Amino acid sequence: MGDPAELVGKAVDGDPAAFDALVRTHTPQMYRVALRITGTAAEAEDVVQEAWLAAWRSLAGFRHESAVSTWLYRVVTNAALAQVRRRKPTVSLDAALSSGGRELLDTSVLADNRANPEGQVVRAEQVDAVLRAIAGLDVAQRVPLVLREFEGLGYEEIAEVLEVSVPALRSRLHRARVALLAKLRELR
Amino acid sequence: MTTGERPDDPRDDPRWDLVRAAARTTVSTPPGLINRVLQSVQGLRGQLLSTPIDIPFEGGRLRVSERVVVLIARRLGAELAHELDGVHVSAVALDADGLQVLITVRYGVAADEAAALLRTRLREGLGDQLGTPAPPVHVHIVDVHPN
Repeated sequence: MGDPAELVGKAVDGDPAAFDALVRTHTPQMYRVALRITGTAAEAEDVVQEAWLAAWRSLAGFRHESAVSTWLYRVVTNAALAQVRRRKPTVSLDAALSSGGRELLDTSVLADNRANPEGQVVRAEQVDAVLRAIAGLDVAQRVPLVLREFEGLGYEEIAEVLEVSVPALRSRLHRARVALLAKLRELR
Repeated sequence: MTTGERPDDPRDDPRWDLVRAAARTTVSTPPGLINRVLQSVQGLRGQLLSTPIDIPFEGGRLRVSERVVVLIARRLGAELAHELDGVHVSAVALDADGLQVLITVRYGVAADEAAALLRTRLREGLGDQLGTPAPPVHVHIVDVHPN
């Protein structure tokens, strides 16, 4: 597979196979992030396409000051933000949740539902409701939340991806968590 | 579990277990996505047209590289697909036969009509922007997705 930094170096030197190897390795990560930010598969796929085209075009400017994965997180995050900003107004979260999201978040059920198929269905619905709640957050809160809680990135790396200071990021993340928890409480 | 970061940390709330559960769910990469990305990147590499497209322009000539043709087609195709509702451009690549536009359609959309309409509008749009040297457009339906 090859070291990502080495692959980028080879790609910059004009080796198409090296860039293709990066695409094969990192597309699942890019798609995961795009899906959790945009909330729809079609948009996520578009974001991934745009992100890789942007990565290819900016390849020559990559200075190895960031890890390759950090650079790619930044590229896909920027593409996802651009996609969200291009959107026409959509159905509000409240309206979306009224179509079946309420009463799904019973945490007492969560503790007991892992052993049987019915419980697993309930759990899948709960997870779906959480994802919809996240999709309803302001995008400035959603992005760091996805990178931290879903991708497991450290504060320093997220700050680098978003080009903000760590204290500013911590503050934004706290507000995002508070906002998400408030939405989860509304679902009861 | 206590995070210990702040006294009012939302992660200490029992409901936060749902967020952790959501984070543990796996996300499958759509079949064929990697190949579609590779096709798009291949289109940008510009190995097919030995010379850029020449467009007469205000008393002179405008030269447009293959890479730019693909980028214009991709952006224009995405905008046109958005107008059609239920159609999504997955990839655009240029090969010896012309522009290859891969689309997915929402279940319930008349796929053949949507593809034909997109092809017509994209050809017109490219014709407006690039003139007669605009390459032929081929639209392929590669997937159907639910709402």
